[in-house]
Amino acid sequence: MSRSGLHSAFIAGVLAILPGFGHFYCREWQRGLVLLLGVPAQAAILYGVGLMWLVIPVGLVWVWSIWDAVCLARGGKCSAVVVCLLLLGVNLAAAWQVTQVHVPKLEPEQRNVIRQILLGLAKPDVAERKTQEQTAVGKYLVPGVGAPSSLTPVKRAPGEPTLKVSPTRARKGERLTVVGSGFAPNAPAEIILLGADEVVVAETKTDSRGRLSASFANPRYIPGVYYVQARISATVRGWQLSDTLKDAAPRMIETVYLALIGTALSVLVALPMSFLGARNLMSGTAVLRGVYILVRTVFTILRSVEVLIFAVIAVAAVGIGPFAGVLALAIHGIGAVGKLYSEAIESIEHGPIEAIRATGANDIQVVAYAVVPQVVPQFIAFTLYRWDINVRMATVIGLVGGGGIGYQLIQYMNLLQWRQAATAIWLIAGVVMIMDYASAVIRERIG
Amino acid sequence: MTLRIEHLTKVYPDGTVALADVSLEVPKGQFVAVIGLSGAGKSTFLRCINRLVEPTSGRVWLGDVEVTGADPAQLRLIRRRIGMIFQQFNLVKRCSVMTNVLSGRLGYVPTLPSLLYRFRPEDLSDARANLERVGLLEKAHQRADTLSGGQQQRVGIARALMQKPELILADEPVASLDPATAHVVLDELERMNKQDGMTILCNLHFLSLARRYADRVIGLKAGRLVFDGTPDEIDDARFKEIYGEEAIRVEVA
Ligand SMILES: Nc1ncnc2c1ncn2[C@@H]1O[C@H](COP(=O)(O)OP(=O)(O)OP(=O)(O)O)[C@@H](O)[C@H]1O
Ligand SMILES: [Mg+2]
Repeated sequence: MSRSGLHSAFIAGVLAILPGFGHFYCREWQRGLVLLLGVPAQAAILYGVGLMWLVIPVGLVWVWSIWDAVCLARGGKCSAVVVCLLLLGVNLAAAWQVTQVHVPKLEPEQRNVIRQILLGLAKPDVAERKTQEQTAVGKYLVPGVGAPSSLTPVKRAPGEPTLKVSPTRARKGERLTVVGSGFAPNAPAEIILLGADEVVVAETKTDSRGRLSASFANPRYIPGVYYVQARISATVRGWQLSDTLKDAAPRMIETVYLALIGTALSVLVALPMSFLGARNLMSGTAVLRGVYILVRTVFTILRSVEVLIFAVIAVAAVGIGPFAGVLALAIHGIGAVGKLYSEAIESIEHGPIEAIRATGANDIQVVAYAVVPQVVPQFIAFTLYRWDINVRMATVIGLVGGGGIGYQLIQYMNLLQWRQAATAIWLIAGVVMIMDYASAVIRERIG
Repeated sequence: MTLRIEHLTKVYPDGTVALADVSLEVPKGQFVAVIGLSGAGKSTFLRCINRLVEPTSGRVWLGDVEVTGADPAQLRLIRRRIGMIFQQFNLVKRCSVMTNVLSGRLGYVPTLPSLLYRFRPEDLSDARANLERVGLLEKAHQRADTLSGGQQQRVGIARALMQKPELILADEPVASLDPATAHVVLDELERMNKQDGMTILCNLHFLSLARRYADRVIGLKAGRLVFDGTPDEIDDARFKEIYGEEAIRVEVA
């Protein structure tokens, strides 16, 4: 049957001025509806984001739709591929504009920050050389009433460094010279006047043979004996953990635990619910089917709301800290693992269920003997997988106040401590990789 | 006890009439083979007896208890008396042979201990005795899926034996097994029939097997009972009636 006998090409063309109507006239309902709704919607979107110039290609689509209607009336049908590509192009152009894609021009300040982070990543602050403190004490006298007339020598063990003060008597403002030896070579040294109000009176360095000398003006005027200490901090053999790592590592552990307890809580709730959300167990009566639909709807809703949104709400509810993160992970996780569990139950073999039921077992026993043994390995795999995801999510949650390493990271960044931040990033990457690998190995074992 | 089936009919939700007005009486201790083409309704027939499939209409009596009228609790008590054996064995693959056998006892034990996989000492010794009987005691602690098909079916039998049943429903118990193994399994069913006096309803594909083991053969065709008699009453005409005109007789040793 030729369409030309039924449809006038002219009428189709005129009707098609309103997008879709020409197609309706030719009974091409689907394409007509897409045009009727799609062309105005596309134009409205472009208008909405303020890109009026892009309406011109949409106009081309309109022209094409008229042509298509005419073709239809004549019994042919045009390919829509070119039009679809055109619309894809239009929307890519719009997206480019809307998201402000551009080649970034970096200010020197920003460039410096990026350089600092890259440097930090190249040289993370994980360990530092061990240091050892060495001290030696010398003394001098401010003469006057109440002061002893002479000094007793300072006692020292053999091999320890020594410090000599000269002259041994000084009034306020007179210069004193300290000479020390037996220290570690080439180490920074502080000369400190001991007492209730301990003051650093000079700073110096030991030479290559471990000697030092410095001078200062005597600040004391009350007669008596005064003690001068030289204190050096020398690097020795061996390494120790850096302060950054000592700060960040407990936070990382907190994150892993946060993910663990978040996962555990979601499993606790999802486990019993998943049986109610399995179609094969819940198809008996209308009530059961209703429960099944309800449970699966809850899973879907919880799963489709992002963890970060729950995190923001939880932070508002219980305050900044790891517990907010736990709540966010737990709630989202119920939906995520619940769905996986339910699907695992749905994919089990039905035969054993029938066999156990035939022995006269009740429903709970059927689940325990025919369903549970079949799903345990998959449940374990899905749980590990979730924990794995949750460790990653937990670091991000930290950024919005959910505690753990993420929170530490954002603090480092706020304090412009780029090297520390880079160290935290390394720590996160390392732990995530280990978790990823470990859970993959375990899942393979039980598979 | 006698198994009495009256006007049993099953229409599946999609409209398939799998069983149409089947009436039958099976006295205690009979070995009945059910034969018929694939799709004739054999599985549906057996499953309607213990209500794994809910009959659309008709009645089933086991002795003086009506199976079809029983509430869920009564139905479980009735099911304890009916052992079932399946073509695909239907063992729980990841569980041990022992656990699979013990699960035959679930209808008798209280729920809570059974959820903890705890059984009474007499159940445990029963399980060992039944495994011994089917010759698999040394496999008791292996996973069920490490056994061969014939061994798995014998575990299935041991599981049914745990129920101390009066009636055995066997849905093509040997269809997945080679002829030699099939005989081992059917010999066991025969022993349960002759020694322990259990009534046996067994779906079979091959007439030769029905001849060898059954006291009585019933033939189903498109859900209807088209034959009921002794094995030797099945001549070529009867055979064609059950299996259709084109069928040729296939014999299995
Ligand atoms: N759950 C079901 N829903 C709908 N139709 C079904 C269902 N189970 C079985 N049937 C249909 O009922 C009819 C009888 O099936 P049944 O499984 O009882 O036959 P059978 O004799 O056991 O066949 P086979 O030898 O292949 O096992 C078939 O037509 C089948 O397609
Ligand atoms: Mg069948």
